[in-house]
Amino acid sequence: MTTLPLDNTFDDPTRRAPLVLNHDDFGSVTNTICGVNERPKPPRAWYIAFAISSTFLMVLGILIGYLFWTGVGVWGNQNPAMWGFPIVNFVFWVGIGHAGTLISAILYLFRQKWRTAINRFAEAMTIFAVICAGMFPGIHVGRVWVSYWLFPIPNQMEMWPQFRSPLLWDVFAVGTYFTVSLLFWYVGMIPDLATLRDRATTKLKAISYGIFALGWRGSMRHWHRYERTYLLLAALATPLVLSVHSVVSFDFAVAQVPGWHTTIFPPYFVAGAIFSGFAMVMTLAIPARQWWGLKDFITLRHLETMNKIILVTGSMVGYAYIMEFFTAWYSGAMYESFAFVNRMFGQYAWAYWIMVTCNVIIPQLFWFKKARQSIPIMFGICLLVNVGMWFERFVIIVTSLSQDHLPANWDYFHPTWVDLTMLAGSFGLFMTLFLLFIRYLPVIAIAEVKAIMPAANPHAHDHDKEASA
Amino acid sequence: MPSVDQTAPRPRTGKTYWRSLEDFADTPEFREFMFREFPAGASEMLDSTQRREFLKIMGASLALAGMGISGCRRWPEEKIAPYASRPAGRLPGIPNSYATSMELGGVASGLLVTSYDGRPIKIEGNPEHPMNRGATDAWAQASVLELYDPDRSRHVMHNNQASSWDNFSSWAKSHFAALREADGNGLCILSEATASPSVLDMKRRLLEAMPNAKWYEYEPLNNDNELAGSILAFGSPYRAQYHFDRAKIIVSLDSDFLHAHPAAVKYTRDFASGRRADDAPKTMNRLYVVESGYSLTGANADHRVAVRSGDIGAVAGHLAKMLSSAAANWVGSVDVAKPMLQQMVDDLASHRGECLIVVGPRQPGEVHAIAHLLNEELGNVGRTVSYTARPDAKPQAASIKALAADIDGGEVDTLVILGGNPAYNAPADLDFASKLGSVGATIHVSSYADETSKRCTWHIPRAHYLESWGDARAYDGTIGITQPLIEPLFGGRSPIELLAIINGDDVGAGYDIVRRSFGGVIGDADFERHWRRVLHDGFVADSAFAEQSPTVRSDEAEAWIIALARLASQERRGLELVFTGDRSVYDGRFANNGWLQELPDPLTKLTWDNAVQLSPSAAENIGVKMGDMVNVSLNGGSHVEAAVLVMPGQHAQSATLTLGYGRNGVGRIAEDAGFDFYQLRSSDSMGFVGGATITKSSGSYEFALTQHHHALDTIGGKGTQDRLPTIFREANLDEYKEHPDFADHRVHVAHRLSLWDESNLDNADYKWAMSIDLTTCTGCSACVVACQAENNIPIVGKDQVKRGREMHWIRVDRYFSGSNPETPDSVAMQPVPCMHCENAACEEVCPVAATTHDRDGLNVMVYNRCIGTRYCSNNCPYKVRRFNFFDYQVREPVRETGLMHVKPSYYTRPQSDTHPLQQLQHNPEVTIRSRGVMEKCTYCIQRISAGKIKAKNDWVKAKPEDRSSRVTVPDGSVVPACAQACPAQAIVFGDLADPNSRVAQLHAHERTYEMLEELNPKPRTRYMAKLRNPAPSLAPAAPSSQGSAHG
Repeated sequence: MTTLPLDNTFDDPTRRAPLVLNHDDFGSVTNTICGVNERPKPPRAWYIAFAISSTFLMVLGILIGYLFWTGVGVWGNQNPAMWGFPIVNFVFWVGIGHAGTLISAILYLFRQKWRTAINRFAEAMTIFAVICAGMFPGIHVGRVWVSYWLFPIPNQMEMWPQFRSPLLWDVFAVGTYFTVSLLFWYVGMIPDLATLRDRATTKLKAISYGIFALGWRGSMRHWHRYERTYLLLAALATPLVLSVHSVVSFDFAVAQVPGWHTTIFPPYFVAGAIFSGFAMVMTLAIPARQWWGLKDFITLRHLETMNKIILVTGSMVGYAYIMEFFTAWYSGAMYESFAFVNRMFGQYAWAYWIMVTCNVIIPQLFWFKKARQSIPIMFGICLLVNVGMWFERFVIIVTSLSQDHLPANWDYFHPTWVDLTMLAGSFGLFMTLFLLFIRYLPVIAIAEVKAIMPAANPHAHDHDKEASA
Repeated sequence: MPSVDQTAPRPRTGKTYWRSLEDFADTPEFREFMFREFPAGASEMLDSTQRREFLKIMGASLALAGMGISGCRRWPEEKIAPYASRPAGRLPGIPNSYATSMELGGVASGLLVTSYDGRPIKIEGNPEHPMNRGATDAWAQASVLELYDPDRSRHVMHNNQASSWDNFSSWAKSHFAALREADGNGLCILSEATASPSVLDMKRRLLEAMPNAKWYEYEPLNNDNELAGSILAFGSPYRAQYHFDRAKIIVSLDSDFLHAHPAAVKYTRDFASGRRADDAPKTMNRLYVVESGYSLTGANADHRVAVRSGDIGAVAGHLAKMLSSAAANWVGSVDVAKPMLQQMVDDLASHRGECLIVVGPRQPGEVHAIAHLLNEELGNVGRTVSYTARPDAKPQAASIKALAADIDGGEVDTLVILGGNPAYNAPADLDFASKLGSVGATIHVSSYADETSKRCTWHIPRAHYLESWGDARAYDGTIGITQPLIEPLFGGRSPIELLAIINGDDVGAGYDIVRRSFGGVIGDADFERHWRRVLHDGFVADSAFAEQSPTVRSDEAEAWIIALARLASQERRGLELVFTGDRSVYDGRFANNGWLQELPDPLTKLTWDNAVQLSPSAAENIGVKMGDMVNVSLNGGSHVEAAVLVMPGQHAQSATLTLGYGRNGVGRIAEDAGFDFYQLRSSDSMGFVGGATITKSSGSYEFALTQHHHALDTIGGKGTQDRLPTIFREANLDEYKEHPDFADHRVHVAHRLSLWDESNLDNADYKWAMSIDLTTCTGCSACVVACQAENNIPIVGKDQVKRGREMHWIRVDRYFSGSNPETPDSVAMQPVPCMHCENAACEEVCPVAATTHDRDGLNVMVYNRCIGTRYCSNNCPYKVRRFNFFDYQVREPVRETGLMHVKPSYYTRPQSDTHPLQQLQHNPEVTIRSRGVMEKCTYCIQRISAGKIKAKNDWVKAKPEDRSSRVTVPDGSVVPACAQACPAQAIVFGDLADPNSRVAQLHAHERTYEMLEELNPKPRTRYMAKLRNPAPSLAPAAPSSQGSAHG
């Protein structure tokens, strides 16, 4: 048994940095991770967080009732900005929902082993973010009671949806993404659910986990089929990562509103989504590893790697911002040029500059190793990136709509208290689901983490010896 | 149908169409049926005693409907009563039209009212009437809503307590009998201005029966100065009738003849005909306007100069000096740039006999007299202006002043106020409201229990003009009949019926009174035949005033000049306040009319309020910005706190105050709306007054503007400036002559390619299309109200307008152009309905196919299919789509939104039972939209259907050898509400499939362009570019390179 280093953030290319600290056997890994779910009482922080988030969730529920009863006029949406906070929130949450599948599917295919520490709850975050996202278009329509007409359900009217509409593509894209993400998350969790079942101390837990463990016994045949399925699902999910936000961007790119009608949108939206998704993973991971003692699995090296991705995607987003201007200028189209100049210096300049500051300027701090490794700094930056990405959607949607072609229609959008409270409420929904997840499901993929430990490789010691010799 | 007076005996005369209906109406069964005719429960609402009962029952049944299993039902049960025997000429479901007249400020307009199963629902101009020719203004259009206003007075009130007709009759009988005994000593009548033959007949009878009674008249927006000017000029009162169609040069001195003039509808039509420069030799009139703040006429001027109202007399003086030998001695400075003034003089001098000088009612009599003099000397009399008699004209301010003096002198025991609202709008110096208390008995007949009613002993609900008999005279003197289309909903009486009670007349019913007075109008010989003719036509043919040819007493011109010079020097310098009628609520009488309150002012785009209109520099000097509260005070005396609206084109030394707001306790709509400037208006300065001070006060006020002043935002201002030449294409006449196709060259269209297969509309039976001529459109906004009335468009309230949620299907976009907001070069007015694009952006993005093309090429909105994603509106580059954010038919139009966006009643009332009264106005041919659906202009698809059905029926009925191979709808037989109402006839609608249709020809016209054609929407609504005719010596650079603009 060798002593594992406490710091795995070194840059020495001759040494492979360990991805799990302080654990050298499988048993202690299982104990630590299952301990999160098995401890009789969660930490006080959990109670406080749950109380706050479930309160917001309740407020959200009440407001949805108020909305349904009264009409969408309770929001600030107006003519010309017919889409306001709800669609801003929708795009924001869909964007958040990107990191999970990217981490679990694309990084899996690229054999990025460090993903195992964070993939489980990144995926959970994806599911919950997509739930938040999916809610908004649903409650956003004027007549919610017929919103099912968006789905291609055979009916007596012999009416199909209108397949040219990007909103309909959205329904399919988000629906598919949610389904595949859920399956991927669940399938990946089956061995761990079986672990929890086997360790259950009460009958209720044994039955509940048992049902979802689908009779997993860990036989070689099970493992074989599991690995195949997981690989196939990863392959299936990978294009979805790119497609869903591309399709969401079509809502705007296909319309002819100046400021929306640009071909750069699909890649720009995907980069932005990954950017915001990683920032949200960080926002959740940093407190979670602190409170549940998961620092050995989600190590500083993991966080640093993610910070690097944030830096890269943030710069891509910044590039997109610049290219938008270039395209608008180069097009020579009067309306397009105006839309972008107006964004920068017009009545919503404040929102634009919040966006640029949070998304492009502040993440540049991650060029510095100190910033990448400082927990308070990275937490602060990630929070700001979340804010910035929300404002990005606000800028795209609201500023473009507020001042489109005919100046006579121009107006200034004011959110109502319902808009603001519902945005807070959607965080309540997200956090409530996430806290429940932490409490009852394995936050880290136990089986996968074990596979990347030196102990999983019988020859590891030999190599280490060779390397150090 | 006649007013059913159950007590008065009615003499039988020969049977006629109307009499037989009346006979029928006299049966109790029919009366009961009439009463029951309205949709379930509505008739109960009309009766005060049953109203509570009705509410109780409704409340209970609603609770059951909401709680119980039956909650899924949307519509209440209705009893359907079939006609046992149908009244002659009446087909259920087929609307009838009746010709009638509406009197406003003593002048009638001829109307044609559509009645649907006994409910008047839509007002249009009488196409036969010489003044209206089918068109109307917004006030007439909106007056039908007043009929169904639930806030209208419903009861006789005695000392502010609900009383009854019986109480009043018994009191009046003895009271007026005693007065008749006393020859009317102490009796005063205060009437609104009226030229109604019946009222005048009753007045004559009253004064015969009570020779000591006195008759006064008061109208807050009056023509006292015109009258004074006429007496100065001619020695007796004459009314000038202008013929703008014959004038090549028009100089308006503070006159808003295109809007705030009793004959504005006719003048707009005439003016427009002088602006159409398409036929050789391509000439058009030139309009100079000198005014202090923007009027609609100023907005349509080729040259507009902002001059203090108090200094406009000097402009008249200068013109007189230059153009007339009789007034050569004028000395005084003129606040108009030299070249402009010289050009004006030259133009007038070189267009003798085809020029015209018109003066507005605010200017003192001397200015009017000078205009009469100049028009005569320029040879315009008999060509561009003619004179008619002006019978019974009375100076209104002097009249009410005399009445106030009489009251002070204790000479008035009984005061009968026929309409009007003097306690609110009498000159402030008279303090009329408190004087009312010192009169023994005061009787006020009015539509609302208003400020005056509350101070009167008796308040009598007045029957609306759509529910009572009467008559009136149009501006040219044409006598029109006012005939009721419905029983008085609240049992009101008309002024002539009240006069009959006062006179102790044995003829008591309005119908009989009008018939009696018409004996003197159409002669007793063959009366019934003529009477029926009048009922059918709505007016008495050839009853206009005879033309007179007075001569100006030019030898007195010297005296006017001296008076004018004295006035000019007396006129205190400094800030002046200019009082003007409001373009929405007139003098305040329409303050409770939601359509008018929500109608954006054509120039300020303000709804639901009025304001102190200040120029940008004046506002800056005072240190205020849009919406700040200021204190407006006059010589340290009366003062009013009001909010500032910064208005381009306003003279810096002049503040425009529109009257008619600041009324409280009148109704839900008028409540808290705007500021009362009558408090600053005194009897010697009804038009304008100098020496005012405006200081910044604390606080600010939020306006509900439908269009924002982005001049303050430099990016937005520049953006507007860049795109305006392509959106609103215009040229000066000279450029048009050189380049008739200038409109095609204002924008470069890269391509006309489409991503999709475009809807193939080539073989469609019809291709409906619209053409809007920007040259003739004045921006009056009558189309907006007409559309609202036709299409059941709800009002949304101030809080929703602030949120940009107004529902108008057609709007009028207004842009100012020029580099200086202080003095804009010009104003652009552009009505924007749905464009019905062939390549519609909205249709591509709707996920449920709720908006699609129909076979006739209309872009239709399927309300039942719409789920309200609002994507269509986002993608519509014209933003003509309107969304039902709330159930606006149910929601009370509130001024401010609290924490809750609706009142509790919003949840408890189903749509079908909300405003039973206002519902009566609804056009049954148009669906009421529920919340959550998008709506927009349909090109009045219901009228298209009606036109097609008629064409098909005609085709089927025609002889086979006469009929064409396919059914064609004759051109001009389908007219949407906006086009129908337009006084300038700027909107033309028709079928492009018929190459001879007017719209097809206009679409092929060289001035026609597509707005935003670079997006390739292929709109069916197209514009004809605006032509202006500035003097070449004064014309700015070509409009294509015009200066900055702001909207």
